[in-house]
Parts: sequence; structure tokens; C-alpha cells
Amino acid sequence: MSNETGVQIKQRKRRNKLIEIGVIIASVIILAVILPSIIPAFRLRLIGRFLSLAIVALGIDLIWGYTGLLSLGHGIFFALGGYALAMNLKLQTTGGELPDFFTLYGVKELPWVWQPFNSFPFTIIALIIIPGIVAGLIGYLVFRNRIKGVYFSILTQAALLVFFNFFNGQQEIINGTNGLKTDTEKIFDIVVSSPGVQRTFYIITVICLVLIYLLCRWLTSGRFGRILKAIRDDETRVRFSGYDPTGYKVLVFAISGAIAGIAGALYTVQTGIITPSIMKVAFSIEMVIWVAVGGRGTLIGAIIGTLLVRLAQTFLSESFPEIWLFFQGALFLIVVTVLPDGIIGWWTNYGWFKLRSLFGQNQVVTYPSLEQDPGVQQEKDQI
Amino acid sequence: MSKILEIENLTVSFDGFKALNNLNFSMNTGELRVIIGPNGAGKTTFLDVITGKVQPTQGRVLFKGKNLKKIPEFKIARIGIGRKFQTPRVYLNLTVRENLDLVCNQNKNVFPTLFSRPRNSEQRTVAGLLETVGLYSKANLNANLLSHGEKQRLEIGMLVAQSPDLLLVDEPAAGLTDEETDNVGALLLSLAESHSIIAIEHDMEFVRQIANDKVTVLHQGALLCEGTMDEVQNDPRVIEVYLGEAPSITPEQINILRIAASMAWADGNFAPEELNVILDKLSQEFATNTEHQHNLKQELQNYLGKNITLEELVPKLQNSTEKEKVLQLSYEIIQFNGINEREVKAYQQLLQLLNLPTETIEQIETEIKAKYN
Repeated sequence: MSNETGVQIKQRKRRNKLIEIGVIIASVIILAVILPSIIPAFRLRLIGRFLSLAIVALGIDLIWGYTGLLSLGHGIFFALGGYALAMNLKLQTTGGELPDFFTLYGVKELPWVWQPFNSFPFTIIALIIIPGIVAGLIGYLVFRNRIKGVYFSILTQAALLVFFNFFNGQQEIINGTNGLKTDTEKIFDIVVSSPGVQRTFYIITVICLVLIYLLCRWLTSGRFGRILKAIRDDETRVRFSGYDPTGYKVLVFAISGAIAGIAGALYTVQTGIITPSIMKVAFSIEMVIWVAVGGRGTLIGAIIGTLLVRLAQTFLSESFPEIWLFFQGALFLIVVTVLPDGIIGWWTNYGWFKLRSLFGQNQVVTYPSLEQDPGVQQEKDQI
Repeated sequence: MSKILEIENLTVSFDGFKALNNLNFSMNTGELRVIIGPNGAGKTTFLDVITGKVQPTQGRVLFKGKNLKKIPEFKIARIGIGRKFQTPRVYLNLTVRENLDLVCNQNKNVFPTLFSRPRNSEQRTVAGLLETVGLYSKANLNANLLSHGEKQRLEIGMLVAQSPDLLLVDEPAAGLTDEETDNVGALLLSLAESHSIIAIEHDMEFVRQIANDKVTVLHQGALLCEGTMDEVQNDPRVIEVYLGEAPSITPEQINILRIAASMAWADGNFAPEELNVILDKLSQEFATNTEHQHNLKQELQNYLGKNITLEELVPKLQNSTEKEKVLQLSYEIIQFNGINEREVKAYQQLLQLLNLPTETIEQIETEIKAKYN
């Protein structure tokens, strides 16, 4: 597999691309067509929520797996997207009038931050752009000063706490701890929690997941993706090669934030409510865990990790309500100790070769990486 | 000739510690300059300042007449200064080809990199470089599977891909086998034909291989001396900083010692007895009293140069007294444990270079023969 010519490499790449497209189309058909017709609406809504969480995991993978920036503050961007859509739904229900909860706090007039959310197109753009801009701003301030590693993680977590406390305290603006309920609101004069609307949201989630997966694929392949990996592995060297890492990091962090915003909006409407608790520290850390379980630096790993952890949580908490948390802890311990590269990482580094040699193809005698070496191959042929 | 790099009164201090202290330095376009100095002399800080990693506390650095103050690293890299690190720093999770491709990229801003496809000319450059550094067969292999020497070559390839005017090379021979060191030396010399190069090095043999121009010695953040390799090696101040104490003999005396040593080396075998003769004789000659003589014998061992040719050493003898002394000593050494062909050849060469009157030679030879019989 290593002594191949340029033509063979191109053929292999084309074949792999076709396989990938096939898998994507098959998954879309299963998720969007088959699944809705065989499982009950309640379960489907659950799957829809997991898929929207898979979207934010893609964003985390983009900055952590590829660029090496461990963000513990993605709850901010997730919540911003969720709040943006929830505000629009409130206003759609009242027809632009003051939503009910404001009267509790003696607010007479719609606050200026709410005004633009009267427009649905604006809201759709805002739920992408606002988290993107906030992420870009935080990123610019942090990366310009060359803060990285664990200090970056701590700063993002601190930012998360700031936003959490702000949203919690601002009752006159966004209803504080109570959050915004979306289930009873109306979108285009239909109640959000009605089966038809929920199903549409589910389909939109599947489409968004595929589109964002393709976007991340495009970003991480080619030169741009290689620079991200180069920044992760040796940022100083990148600087001395004539690249300015700050720009790249800000852009990719902003994109990641925007992705989280989309995910947050989709999650909110399929959950029925958004409260500041979505910005709790534990939830943002959980996002990172999904990626770690699936495999850092492999986009498909982020999706699989999220679905696996969340499905396991649901299954275990239903079957063993008292002890399911122990299972969860055990799962994370296993990943950290036995599968440091996550499930997909293990599969590509080890499992795949093992499986192939089981079927008598490409016997791996030593290590896969050693057998790829042309020098070693040549020596083997001579023996 | 135009100056590619000028450094004026440069001081860099870290919390009061002066890593570089009022340093002045300049080099011409196209020069290959080797910088040596003991540990902590400020060699790496020197490179850090030029590449913008560290800002000068005082003074300035001019590259092609342009002040580099407050210019970020990536811009300095773009205007033509490339740096190779001490340990090879390549991107381990990218293939060899991708490593070179990243550096070849013509426009390194964010959006052009994201949206534009690699140009044909860039792909050709990469292919050419793979050939030059001898990694064509491993082009599609991840860089973490390369050996140390291969990584070193790949990084030099990446440096060239940047097409800089000035190359800064930090200890390129560190951790390499003798053969690989020779290869890297040859590669540097061939690069020196089209680039200006500053090389920092510890390995004196390697310095001798590549230093065909000036050598600069740094010590405690300041310039200690500058000159050709020989001038530098014989400078008492350089010897002092490298060995920790000032030599108690003059450079001329060191020279005599080295000629005698190279006679002993002539047959490819420096016998311990021969060494003893040299050290005994010379310490007697140079010392003022017996105690000094004993110490001197220890000290002289440090100054024995290896592989320095007679053509370099002999012309530095000042007068006929010195020449006679050299002759005396050399004759005694080759007499000592039987004369063989190669020693005779070296001796003949020495006689030719010394160019002494025949009577003097005969007189000295007879004296020594008489002593041994």
C-alpha cells in the first residue's frame, strides 16, 4: 500500500471519496426517511436532540482535534444560538407585542435587544453570526496575546461563567433563571411542539449535520487543514514559516462558535426550553468528552462519540436509574486509559489492520506504521 | 559590498540578566558566517533577536538596511530570513510532501490559503526539493516515521522552500553521525553559493569544514573576536573562554607545539611516547621553573590541534630561531621510534616549507643523531 505510484494514490483517493459519499447518502436516508417512520415521535425528538449535539461536537473537534485549542466555553455559543431563536419564537407568538413574562418585572416596553428579532430572516442569520462574532472577539483577544494551552481552556471556562451569571441575573431582559420556553410558542402560526413542526426540525437537523460535516471536511482537508494541524503540533515553527497563526486560529474559533450557535438553536426547539443552565460548566466539559470518546481529529468520530455517549446515557438511565452514573464514569475511564485516540482513532490505527489480517489480507507482522516505510518494504522484497 | 545584516549596540536583558551585551555585528551579502561560543554565550538569543522572537532592549538590527524592531516573526520570515532550529522541527503529522507544500505556499494569508488551489509552479518546486533532499521515495510518508537525519534534511528543504535571502542555522550537526555531518556540511556549502548563511556550531571539526570565511566568537553576550578560523583558534582569549584559563604561553609557542604534533601524526599513529617527547621538550623550553614546567605539561595537551596542515602552520613562524626549534623537535620525534616512509615524506615537506639554509639543517640533524646514538 505504500509503494504505489501517483496514479494509484489518486485512484485510491477517488475510491475513498466515493465510499464516503455513499456512506453519507445512506446515513441520510436512514436518519431522515427510515427512522421517522419506524420509531415513535418521542424517540425521534430525542434522536434529533442528539444529532444537534453532534453538530456542536463537530465544532469542538474542529478547534480541539485539529487546531489543538481545548475550549471549555462552547456552552456560550450554544446558548446564544438557542436564545436567538427562542426570542424570535416568543415574538412570533405575540405578533411583535411584549411577551408575558416581562410584565412580571414591570417592563413596559420591548427592550432594544429584542427589537431586531421580530424578523425571522434576521434571527436565522443572527443565530449563526452572533455566536461567531463573540467567539471571534474572545479568540482575537486571547490569541493575539499568545495565550494557549491550559490558560486558554481556563479563560474560556471563565468566560462561560461570566455569561452564565449574566443570563441568570438579567430577568428584565431574558427572564433570568426561568429561561425562555419554546414548546408553547408558535412558528408561522403552528405550535412548535406539534408533531409536524418537530418532524421538520428533525429533518432540518439531519440536513444541517450533513452540511456542517461537509464544511468541516472541506476546512480540514487541503492546505488550510494542514496549517491547522501544523499550528496544533508546532505553532512557533508555523510563525517562522511565514504564517500568522492568530488569523487562522481566530477564524477557526469563530467558525466553531457559529456551528455551536446553529446546534444550540436546533437543540432548543427540540427540547422545548432554553435556560442559563445550558451554560453550566459540566455541560461544556461533556461536549469535549463526546469528542474524546469518538476520537479527536476525526470528524466522524465526533458524531459517533456524541451519539454513543448520549444513547448510552439514555439507555442506562432508563434501565438502571440508580447506578447509571457509574457506567458513565467507567466509560470515560476506559476511553482515557485504553483508547487514548478514541474509538475511531483506535480503529484506523489498529482495528482496521487487525481485521484485514484476520481475512488474510495485508498481513501486519510488525507495526502498521513500520510496514508503510518504503525502505522496509524494499528490504522485505529482497529477502 | 552591501551588508545583509547589521547589528548595532544590541543589548537584550531578561530581568536584568544581559543575554546580549552591547553587541556589534555585521555581515556581507553572500557570506557564510560561523558563530561559535561556549554555552550561555548568547548564541541562540542572537538568533531569537534577528527572527523577532525576542525584542532588543537597546540597539537595533538592520536587515538589508531595514530596522526589524517590532516586526512580528511571520513578517520577518516573509521578508527573507529563514531559521532552522537545533532539534529538527518538522510537522510530524503531515507527510513529507505536505510539509514542503505548506512552506512553498506563495500567499500565506488566511483567505487565499483557504480558497486557492496549489499552483503548478509550487507543485514543481516541491517535487524538485524532494529530489534535492533525497526524500522522493518517502514523499507520501508521515514525517514522524523519518529518522533523525532525514528530518534534519527535510527541515533544511523546508528552509530552502521559503526561498530566504538569509539562512540562520542552529547547530545543524548536533546528533548526527560523521557521515551525515559531512552531508549536511556539503549541503550548507552548496547553499552558501546562493544564500547568505549564519551557522551556529559547537563541533569544531564541522566548523573547520564549513568555515571558509570569517568566524565570530561570542562570549557572555558580547563579541569576543572575529577572524579566520586559524586566527580565532590561536587567539589566547578564545582559548581562555573555552578552557576556563588563559594560556600561559604565547600563540607563537602554541604554533610550534602544533607543528610538532602534526609530525607525530604523520604516520597516522600518535604514539603516547611521541606525545611525551613533545610535551617534555616544550615544557622545558617554555617554562620558567620546575613547578611551572609540570603544570605546563598538562596545559599543553589542550592546545594540540588535530588535522591542521603544515601549509597552514609553518608560514606563521616568525623568525629563524623558531624555525630551528621546530626542526629540532620534529627531527627528534621522527627519530624516536624508527623512521617510516610517511614520516619521511612529512619531514621533507616540512623542510621545504621551512626553507632554512642547508648548513643549519645538517648541524641540527647531527646534534640529535649524536644524542640518540
